[in-house]
Amino acid sequence: MHTYQFRQRIRNISRIIVVGLLGLLYSLSLPVWASDTIVVGSKNFLESRLLAEMFAQLIEARTELIVTRRLGLAGTQVCFEALKSGGIDLYPEYTGTGLVTILGEPPIHDRVSVLNRVRGEFLHRWDIWWLAPLGFENSYALALRRDRAQSLELHTISDLARVAPQMKAGFGYEFIQREDGLVGLNKSYGLQFQEVIGMQQTLKYQATDKGEVDLLDVYTTDGRLAVYDFVVLKDDRQFFPPYEAAALVRGEILKRHPELGRVISLLTNAINPTRMRELNLRIQEQEEPVPQVAQSALRALDLVDDNHVQPAANTESSDSILSYMWTKRSDLALRTGEHLGLSGLGLFLGILVAIPLGLALERWRKGAEAIIRIIGMLQTIPSIALLAFMIPIFGVGALPAIMALWMYSLFPILRNTYSGLRDAAPNVVETGRALGMTEWQILRTIRLPLAAPTIMAGIRTSAIWTVGTATLAAFIGAGGLGVPIVAGLQLADVNLILSGALPATVLALSVDGLLGRVEQWARPRGLDPVR
Amino acid sequence: MKPWALEIQQGSKQFPDGTYALQNIEWRVKEGETMALIGESGSGKTTFLRLLNRLIAPTTGAVVIQGEPACVQDPIQLRRRLGYVPQDGGLFPHWTIRQNVCLVPHLLGWSSKQQLDRVNKLLPLMNLNPAQIAERYPIELSGGQRQRVAVARALAADPTIVLLDEPFGALDPLTRHDLQDQFLSLQTQLHKTMVLVTHDMSEAFRLGDRITILKEGRIQQVGTPHEILHSPATPYVHLLVQHYHAHRG
Repeated sequence: MHTYQFRQRIRNISRIIVVGLLGLLYSLSLPVWASDTIVVGSKNFLESRLLAEMFAQLIEARTELIVTRRLGLAGTQVCFEALKSGGIDLYPEYTGTGLVTILGEPPIHDRVSVLNRVRGEFLHRWDIWWLAPLGFENSYALALRRDRAQSLELHTISDLARVAPQMKAGFGYEFIQREDGLVGLNKSYGLQFQEVIGMQQTLKYQATDKGEVDLLDVYTTDGRLAVYDFVVLKDDRQFFPPYEAAALVRGEILKRHPELGRVISLLTNAINPTRMRELNLRIQEQEEPVPQVAQSALRALDLVDDNHVQPAANTESSDSILSYMWTKRSDLALRTGEHLGLSGLGLFLGILVAIPLGLALERWRKGAEAIIRIIGMLQTIPSIALLAFMIPIFGVGALPAIMALWMYSLFPILRNTYSGLRDAAPNVVETGRALGMTEWQILRTIRLPLAAPTIMAGIRTSAIWTVGTATLAAFIGAGGLGVPIVAGLQLADVNLILSGALPATVLALSVDGLLGRVEQWARPRGLDPVR
Repeated sequence: MKPWALEIQQGSKQFPDGTYALQNIEWRVKEGETMALIGESGSGKTTFLRLLNRLIAPTTGAVVIQGEPACVQDPIQLRRRLGYVPQDGGLFPHWTIRQNVCLVPHLLGWSSKQQLDRVNKLLPLMNLNPAQIAERYPIELSGGQRQRVAVARALAADPTIVLLDEPFGALDPLTRHDLQDQFLSLQTQLHKTMVLVTHDMSEAFRLGDRITILKEGRIQQVGTPHEILHSPATPYVHLLVQHYHAHRG
């Protein structure tokens, strides 16, 4: 019978999907389970990535440990939560950030006091260690173009207070929110700007070129200060606390692998501010890849051997986007695989939970609307926030991303399963009952087949949703096509952004098309006029 | 004495809000008889029918089917023994005509050969050509054809009792008249016990051996068309008869 073949087909297909997805899950989580693996994290800006990459290469060169990189995590909160929960083992952090953002204490202006304060508190509260500082500070500072500064006779931030009402400031989102950023700065200097525009770090310099903004928050080690000929205004009231860079490491991992602490300590006072600015500049303006710069920096310090040298990937920025993608095809294939794995697993788990739940709710109508509404509210949590909520529970990487995608996929499937079953031809259902079908027979042979197109439409909506949202998984180190997008945003590299965005778009469109076909196929014959 | 085919003893159905859908129903149908059940919308005639195949249970009183109280029978088995034709046909849209007709035989576990034989016998009885329509879907048929299929489905497992809920109500007048004719010729061949719910007085007079008139959950009169026409029991029945005469011109 027709319904039997239908069931058989569904069964075969779901068997293939289960095996495939379990394989993917296994391969995604493998490095996390291995015991001698060190997970190095970084925040989502270049210097953090570069330092993390240097840590990683140093550990690889001088210990037997295996290193997993979780670079580009979205900001201090995400990184530090990941460190606390063991999702990552170390990452580069700045003492001032530790004091103000993590501990929530007012700024102190003496370098040594800040270091001592955070060391003591972090050890005491979380058994997290600040290793010896790397030799430079990367403070916040306010900067503007030299010609503007000279014509306005600006030297200090106090001078700025005078002209601020005529100025447009382009500040990073994190800076605007931080107590040791704009919030405290306004209190300390009484600044009132004409307008404050929240901007992505890497786009700001270009914006001053066009005169769209006058003033920027900058990092003192930013290589572009020299390139764009910027002047840093003197912090004459010593508002900005010192931000010494150092490795932040979990105590547990230091006890298990004492060699890790010794190796990272080789970088103590090894990088001065000028050197750091040079290294940053090589990535920012000369577009050298981060691993290559990290390696040459370590080599200059005689910390790694020359025979490790890998030929640098020569990236011609004049390349067309397609040939650029062709040169990166193996990486993109991997990212696409990860992307499909993340969204596929999230969706699969969503189907696994939402369809039975929809069936149960349809039986138990009283609580149904309330529960569906609650699940619907999950949908309204901004995706990046939901991803961030997952970190304290699941750490960083694929698992929290899959969990977040799972939650997103629930609602459309649940709603459509419930309403599809509820509204499936009530007169036909009643007739089946009157002719002596059991409720189970009615469900299996009438309601489910008639609701199948509606349920499939819900799955299709969820699928497109998860494929789209999975690009954000890069912010919590889960990989996927978001990785080139996020990295490209930081490097202001359009080709890099497109190399992630184009496949992601194509992927979403093909998933939509494919599931559209499945939806047609799931539609029982006889519902449309002769085909 | 041969038991009544269908019987309701002192039956009442009360809704949770306290109002009565049916009250003090005392009602009997002989075997082989066609009983028409007539009333306005809201008179309780659908509830009446649902009591008979145990889709609902009476609040008080008993439903007795072929001498056996319905409440002691397994409702699923009971319903498979009663044919049922809903107003709109109620055909499963995703099943072929053959599958639809064979629903109850399939539930009862007949072999496919028996099922096929049954389709080939029943469809011609309803003036339908099995070779033409057995493998088609309901949407490909006309309204009249669909309703014939629904009747064939009700008869498929050869029940002795068939319940029909306004089976011809949604058809155009010509088709309705055709199907009524066919119903009559079918009944002279098969001699089933039929309960036919309708709101159309002329249909009740035409098809019913006896007629039950229902108003606001109470039986006004039960009798042959002749008895109803010539000695209406209540002012309401009297009014109905007057209307009937007026419309016939």
